[in-house]
Amino acid sequence: MTTQTQKIPAPAVAPAKRQSSAILTGHRFAGPLFASPALIGLAIFLVAPFVLAVVLSFYRVQLNSPRPARFIGFEQYTRLFTDPDLSAAFGQALLNNFTFALIVVPVQTVLALGLAVLVNRKLRGMVVFRTFIFMPLVFPLALTAVIWRLIYSRGDEGLLNALLGLFSGGALSSHDWLGSPSTALGSIIVMSIWQSVSFQMIIVLAALQSVPTELYEAAALDRANKWQQFINVTVPGIRNTLIFVALITTIFSFRLFDQVYLLSRSGSVDRGSTETVMTQIINTGFDNNNVGQAAAMTVIFMLIITMIAIIQRAAVRQRGGV
Amino acid sequence: MAGIIAAAAAVSVAALSLTGCGGPDTGNPGPSVQAGSGEGTINVWAVDGQAAENDALKKIISNFETSQNKIKVNLKLFPSDQYTKAVNSAAPGDLPDVLDFDGPTLASFVYNGKMAPLKDSVSEETLSNQTDSIKAQNTVDDAVYGVGMMNAGLALWGNKKLLDSAGVEYPTTPEGAWTAEEFSGVLDKLAAVVPGGKPLDLSEQYGFAGEWGTCCSAGPVIWSGGGTMLKDNKASGALDSEANVKSLTTLASWKKYTDPNADGLAFPNGRVALSWVGHWTYPTYKALGSDLVSIPLPNFGKGTKTASGTFAWGMGATTKNGAASGKFLDFLMSDESVRIYTDANGAPPATKTALSVSNLYGPGKQLQLLGDQLSKACGPEEQITETCVSVTRPVTAGYPIVTDQVGKAEAAIYSGKDAKEALSAAARAIDQNFADNDGYKK
Repeated sequence: MTTQTQKIPAPAVAPAKRQSSAILTGHRFAGPLFASPALIGLAIFLVAPFVLAVVLSFYRVQLNSPRPARFIGFEQYTRLFTDPDLSAAFGQALLNNFTFALIVVPVQTVLALGLAVLVNRKLRGMVVFRTFIFMPLVFPLALTAVIWRLIYSRGDEGLLNALLGLFSGGALSSHDWLGSPSTALGSIIVMSIWQSVSFQMIIVLAALQSVPTELYEAAALDRANKWQQFINVTVPGIRNTLIFVALITTIFSFRLFDQVYLLSRSGSVDRGSTETVMTQIINTGFDNNNVGQAAAMTVIFMLIITMIAIIQRAAVRQRGGV
Repeated sequence: MAGIIAAAAAVSVAALSLTGCGGPDTGNPGPSVQAGSGEGTINVWAVDGQAAENDALKKIISNFETSQNKIKVNLKLFPSDQYTKAVNSAAPGDLPDVLDFDGPTLASFVYNGKMAPLKDSVSEETLSNQTDSIKAQNTVDDAVYGVGMMNAGLALWGNKKLLDSAGVEYPTTPEGAWTAEEFSGVLDKLAAVVPGGKPLDLSEQYGFAGEWGTCCSAGPVIWSGGGTMLKDNKASGALDSEANVKSLTTLASWKKYTDPNADGLAFPNGRVALSWVGHWTYPTYKALGSDLVSIPLPNFGKGTKTASGTFAWGMGATTKNGAASGKFLDFLMSDESVRIYTDANGAPPATKTALSVSNLYGPGKQLQLLGDQLSKACGPEEQITETCVSVTRPVTAGYPIVTDQVGKAEAAIYSGKDAKEALSAAARAIDQNFADNDGYKK
């Protein structure tokens, strides 16, 4: 990044100021100078906090405590992996994150593609249809969570139960969707997909519209049917966009926080069944005031995410993608 | 990727900025109050509450300023969700002369050397007029750090029409409270008369995995069953006791009778006959008129119990104007001020003289039960007896971890997890945190 920015300004400014050697030396700093706002930003908001998190994770630090921070080496880490309670809770949170990602990434990407193909047709009233699909994204999550709590509410008062009861003749009518550990995470997954699939859809839609129509015409001349056109023209045409969509969905899945916080902290839900690493970090650091422990969790989580990102990028590169 | 790094960064930055303030550098000078001249301007911090509460507070302050001409009050209101953070992150020297605080946060403020004992600043008359339940909340290590205008209490609100149609007789005094078994029978009867077949509201909309769970839902159940959350500063052997396992399992067994109350309207709409909630819903519930009755919470073996305690007033540890601050606190606790304030928010008065003449909580009035319960104060949980009713939440600087874990355990038990397992895990987490902080002892 730095080498690039150094090259660009040099020829543009050089001819006019060739005389002055003082300014020539300035050229050497032009690149770093131009890069500095971004670099300083990165350092302050990314590098420094991460380094501090690493440092904090070696200390016993309690918020609102007059006691000085105590250096304890790797104790926070050994606790996270050996203390039966903590390791079970942290493992469960990680498992919830992975389960969420494993289900949401493929389902949401395919669904986004399907919806995009659907709304890409040139039919009358399509704008209205598109608007409706896009709407969940416009509403604040705090608002939609209130509605979804009513949908998932247990007993026949819940909208979902009422609907199921209607179709099953009253046989299925009182499941506690969020309260029962077996369906709590699933409920959050469904709400999450409903809420954000339209965002991915818009990106895929833009890509779909950039696929040249001549390709379809040529395919039609070769007697390719609609399905063959979709597989051989559409999908390769938007391949990079699909990869991008899958990538950002993975990222969203791992930083899952709001949905869990809003749906399961309110009400009588067993927190363990839906806890994600992010909610656990916040809980440890700011409800229990145990900053050292939270920092250790952050560091481990960061390492896991880095690993996933590297694997994902390598896999994509091999197939000649972005 | 960037999102995760940014989120992690936000966590650690926030963490650092907070530790910077409460951490090792500030030290702990302890209270150093100067009486001052008894005149001039005093700074006051308070929570930005309901509009009516704020108006009442401003009115009381203007009454104070017109009642004498030497002391002026400079009031600063903070949004309620930021208030405790503001006090937490202020160094002791930056705190105002007089400040509002929430009951369970007091021990932590004292631990951090942020509060001054009131003994020499506030008059003896004011201190002795405080009801026992508020006094228990405001006392840390045998010193009084706060005085309160109002208190808080819990009850089962009943819909008389529904109770009568099910033929249910209900108790009106703490002594007559239903036992847990009787209560299960009552719920059975009521289930037949309410529209949805679920006659009970346990205020699930507040969330059990939070302060509501500890203070007002699990708390009274634990105390009434003869258990405690902590014993000798340890949760193991107290929170995970057989008594607590039994009481909380009983509470969870009522889930089948419980309306989840996701819309918060179960009681006013007549979907349920009984609502387990605090005095603060009275302004909404009073729409039922004379059909609204207050019933003590069920007795799990050691008499009915309710939580008590709420926002109260104290002095910053380093005030230079102790005498004037004391005068202001005396004025806040006068009958007239307490009346203005509690009329505005409907809370039970926390001073003996104001409680006895209260229009709501006084003898023979509609909420007399809640007033009675508050005057039968137990003090903190280790002093619970069969006959006392209102219990103060654990007074310890480790309260944040206690409330987090107790609420979490209650929610888990309520959604079907084994009670012994959930409570033992909570107890271990609390003890670990206490051990890390040397028991939060000074």
